[in-house]
Formats: sequence, C-alpha cells, structure tokens
Amino acid sequence: MKLTESHIQRLYKFTREHFVYHYDVQTELVDHLANDIEQIWVAQPHLKFEKARDISFKKFGVFGFMDVVEKKQKAMNKHYRKILWRFTKEWFTMPKIITTGLIFMLFFIVLQLKHSFLILGTSFFILAGYDVFLFVKEKIKNKRKEKKQSEKKWLLKEMIGESRRGFSVISFINIFNIINILDLDFYTLPLFVIAILAFAATFTCIIYHVSWAVLPSKAEELLIEKYPEYSLV
Amino acid sequence: MGNQKLFKGSLQTIILKLLAQNDKMYGYEITQKVKELTKGELKITEGALYPALHKLEADGLLDVEVAKVGNRLRKYYKLTEHGTKETANKLEEMQEFLKTMQHLVNPKFSLE
Repeated sequence: MKLTESHIQRLYKFTREHFVYHYDVQTELVDHLANDIEQIWVAQPHLKFEKARDISFKKFGVFGFMDVVEKKQKAMNKHYRKILWRFTKEWFTMPKIITTGLIFMLFFIVLQLKHSFLILGTSFFILAGYDVFLFVKEKIKNKRKEKKQSEKKWLLKEMIGESRRGFSVISFINIFNIINILDLDFYTLPLFVIAILAFAATFTCIIYHVSWAVLPSKAEELLIEKYPEYSLV
Repeated sequence: MGNQKLFKGSLQTIILKLLAQNDKMYGYEITQKVKELTKGELKITEGALYPALHKLEADGLLDVEVAKVGNRLRKYYKLTEHGTKETANKLEEMQEFLKTMQHLVNPKFSLE
C-alpha cells in the first residue's frame, strides 16, 4: 500500500511537531518515514497509519529527530563558512584587491594618527547603530511577510539572513571593547604592529561586507546551488 | 545487538563503499541495503545515518540530487570526485585496521 498525499502532509506536520522546522530537513525525514511505513504495511497491512508512523519514529531513538537536526545544523554551518570564504577570497584577487589595498592603507594611516581611537570608535559606533537599525527594520518587514504567507523555511536561507547580523553587531562591539580594554595609543606602536592591526581591521570589514551585503544579494542563487529541490517546490 | 558499537566507527566507510557500488542512493535505501548485505547482522540506525550523510556532504564527499517520486521528494546521494578518492583511502585504512585487529585478536607465534 502506498501513502497518499494527505499522509505525506501529515508526516510534514509530524516532523514540525517534533522540532524539525526547516523544509530541507523535513523532506528527507518525511521520505524516510514514508518508505518505512510502506514497508511496515507489507508485513502488517491492517495497521493504522499513526501506529505504523510511531513504530517508524521509534527507530530514531530516544532523542527522535534531534540528533539529525543538530548535526544538520553543524553541517550547514560548515557550508555557510565555506561560502563566506569563497566570496571573501575574491577580495584578495584582481580587481578587488585594489579596494582591499585602499581600505588597508586607510586603516594604516588612521591608526598612526594621535586621535585614531576616537576616529575608529566613533566610526564603529555609527556603523553598529546603523546595523541595529537595519536589523530591526528587516525583522519588522519579515514579521509582516510571515503574517501574509506561511513560507517554507530553509536552513541556509535563515543563516544567510541571520548570521550576518549576529556577526556584524557582535564583532563591532567586541572590537570596540578590545580597543577600550587595551587602552593604548596606536600611534606609539611599531609600524609592523600597526600593519597587522590594519590588516585585521580590513579583513573584518570585508567579512562584514560579504555576510551583510554580498551573500543576501546572492541568496536565491546560493539556495538553488545548495538545494536541488528549491526550484521544485 | 552487541556488536553495533564495533560498527559505529565504520559507518562513513560503509556509506561511501555502498555509494561507490551503486551510483546514487537515498537514506532509506542505504539502511535496507546494509541490512540485506549483512543478513540483518548490522542495522544502521536512522539517528546515526542522516548525521553521517550530512557530514559527508558538508565535507564535499557527497553530492545531492532531488527527484519527485510519486507524491514526495526524494534526496539521493552520490559520490563526488573527491568522495571517490576518499573512498579508496578509507577502504585502505579499513583493511589496515582489520589486519591489525587480526594480529591482536589472533596472534601467530613463530620461532624466530
């Protein structure tokens, strides 16, 4: 006996009820449960759908789908980092390396100024403020959108949307704190230390730009690349 | 099944070997194939299979294909080029391991 469309939808609901919220993870589990239920029905054709489903679910162990979800999250984090690195690398090749060089020089020069802390601190605060503003704006927009339609959730899509915010705000605040705690005058440091600091600041700016602007603008493309099923649903 | 723990560390190698022989497979098919090949001696648990597949995919050893089968979507896994190379390495490691275990469990004493 084969499962009907209604059974499949019930299995999707079942995975949601067991803390699997992303469509990409749900799909694989639904197919697995469906195959197993059909197999169970071969031996016990009169067994109710729910009973067969529960027998199948028990095979996932006491933690149910949690292990699968957790490991999937880890694997996707790795995938996200790989994408981030792929686009960050571009800034160290022609022609973008020219911009990278200019940013580096800017930091290198500013760090040698007497009031570099004040300049950098103020810039970071303005950027962090702007970032929080954008974050809140997008949250409100998404809330409205969610109300309008119950969109399918994709793990990578959420990462592209959320990780950048976490990264940017936290990193800006951290950088400011480190500067504050160190309480040192950059212009008194040897030139090679200033160069290292300038490089670190440049690198942070690039990662921030990639995660904040580049990846979200390429979201659709990256999702199709990662999820062959993205265009099927 | 008491020997499941022994198999646990070999799960990735088992998956890679099966995919090397079968072009592409989906999760449930892998569990059934292992059951069939080992005559029920080894059962890959669902809670272990998918994390292993996702890890192999994240490591770039597996590629994914999705097809609509009947009224549902099915995710197929297949080896990437890197995965094919890694399968050979892992199988070699496994052979070495088996040889070492053989020496340990069943040592042959000789008069030299």
